[in-house]
Amino acid sequence: MTNEKMEQRLASAVEKTAPNDVNGVLSRCDERKGTVIPMTTKKTTKKRWTTLAAACLALVLLGGGGIFYQQAHAVASVVSLDVNPSIELKVSRNEKVLVCTPLNEDAKAILADMGGGADLKGAKLDVAVNAIVGSLVRNGYLNSISSAIMISVEDNDTARAEKLQRELTSTVDGVLQTSEAKASVLTQTLTQDAGLAQQARENSISTGKAALVNRVLALNPALKFDALAKLSVEELKDLAEAGAPAMPIGTDKAMDIAAAAFGKASTAKMAYSAVDPELDESPAHYEVEIKSQTGEEFEYKVDAYTGAILESKREAADGTEVPVVQPSKPAASGDIGYAKAKSVALNHAGVSENKAYDLEIELDDEDGRLVYEIEFKSGGMEYSYEINAATGAILKHEAEIDD
Amino acid sequence: MLSMLMTTEYAPAEERRELQRLLRCIAGNDRDALAELYRRTRPAVYGLALSYLRNAHDAQDLTQDVYVQVWDCAAQYRPTGSPMGWLLAVCRSLCLMRLRREERQAAIREEEWDAIPAQECGLDADERALLQGALARLADEERRIVLLHAVTGMKHREIAALLELPLPTVLSKYHRALKKMRSCLEGDDAR
Repeated sequence: MTNEKMEQRLASAVEKTAPNDVNGVLSRCDERKGTVIPMTTKKTTKKRWTTLAAACLALVLLGGGGIFYQQAHAVASVVSLDVNPSIELKVSRNEKVLVCTPLNEDAKAILADMGGGADLKGAKLDVAVNAIVGSLVRNGYLNSISSAIMISVEDNDTARAEKLQRELTSTVDGVLQTSEAKASVLTQTLTQDAGLAQQARENSISTGKAALVNRVLALNPALKFDALAKLSVEELKDLAEAGAPAMPIGTDKAMDIAAAAFGKASTAKMAYSAVDPELDESPAHYEVEIKSQTGEEFEYKVDAYTGAILESKREAADGTEVPVVQPSKPAASGDIGYAKAKSVALNHAGVSENKAYDLEIELDDEDGRLVYEIEFKSGGMEYSYEINAATGAILKHEAEIDD
Repeated sequence: MLSMLMTTEYAPAEERRELQRLLRCIAGNDRDALAELYRRTRPAVYGLALSYLRNAHDAQDLTQDVYVQVWDCAAQYRPTGSPMGWLLAVCRSLCLMRLRREERQAAIREEEWDAIPAQECGLDADERALLQGALARLADEERRIVLLHAVTGMKHREIAALLELPLPTVLSKYHRALKKMRSCLEGDDAR
């Protein structure tokens, strides 16, 4: 039996054994009860979804009507979609996709379940764009309110380019509205330009993105085309709006810096991380969110130009903010001792020793680091702590109702 | 190839819109919408409940509780989130509450995997072997991941988010689980 078959059979078995008693449910739903259970809120709702920004950048580059893609005689227009993945679609006069090309590694991942783009050949342009944007959303590229997708249409027939652009914008808007995505949509129409196309190909980006890079370069000629080409559309857009004062460090570098700080602050492994460029804020920074496997959340603001950590926040699994423990020097790999560990935990919980009962302390080796695990109960609550045996720093703490 | 692409692309989006619409109606006291939601999603909710509670009887009970809970708090659903993800988060939260309650009552709960309901439900031999025999060999989390993947059609990424596990963990457990299940079925065939 193939895996797929096995899953199908399993699904049908569950379907058959699942209860089917709608009346039983409805009979219990007469009056609305006021009970509310705490729900694990999705990460996305925590962010600041305040406004749905729809920045529209209409950049019309006229002139330079050089002919290129000579061999593809049927290509009427070239549509590119840029987020960080860059995807180029060559389209015929009747809006059918002739070729779909991933222009960078990120784009290959996006097109992975579409035969690397080959499956889109022959599809109507709007169907293909719908599929691609769906995949971008699923891969988390468009989830942040500040993320941006740029649609560029290159066509020497300006009227057709504008018509296509309008259609595509509404297609993309449609996909974004039915998903959690809150990205802004940037659009531009370009006339085909051999020089721009050349520059784009050399840097594995679309001509649309190359045009945006050139706009940033026009503001600050000291920056480098190839370095800018690696930034996302969102970063380029914000950089252009901020007047391109310097070269940002990029999301990867910002992540590295935050990950290093996280490594010093916590022994837990990373469970989730996300970087959000905030180049349009002052000071411009990258916001890095890291969630550890123990449920703690860290937030770092990394200066976009210098890489300095501007701010760090730490939130325990129960939502209380923990003062960021400065990484204290390993005190000659010393051991603070049971008594000290106990008093750290009790002090933190605000529980005096004679009020605590069922107290257990264990010294444990966690990935080469000695940790005191302390558990006790008091006042109807159950507390548990993990304390660094060398420094006395609280690595983890939890308190729950004991009943 | 393209038709396959379209079903994987479009069906979930439509389904999602429909579920969102139903939740909105439920928030507005529409009982028919609740019945429709139940009809569409009961296998997914039951599958997840089964993976937590380990026996068909409890899982059937809890499935009903989930929809009563949905009726009571549909207004809390925000249309920015996945409706299926929300529904399953409600289910998971009720399962965990129930397990915690039982843990307190009986010190240890080590119940055997018992996925076949007492009443007749027309399972064939293969389905029986999978649901009872093969799943019994899995660890709790493996079972949960396989059931979610098979029954809800959720992506591994969404499963990871729901279960609060890292994606690589979900992927490796998923593959290991399928391997175990296959070897169990093949072993049975050989007998």
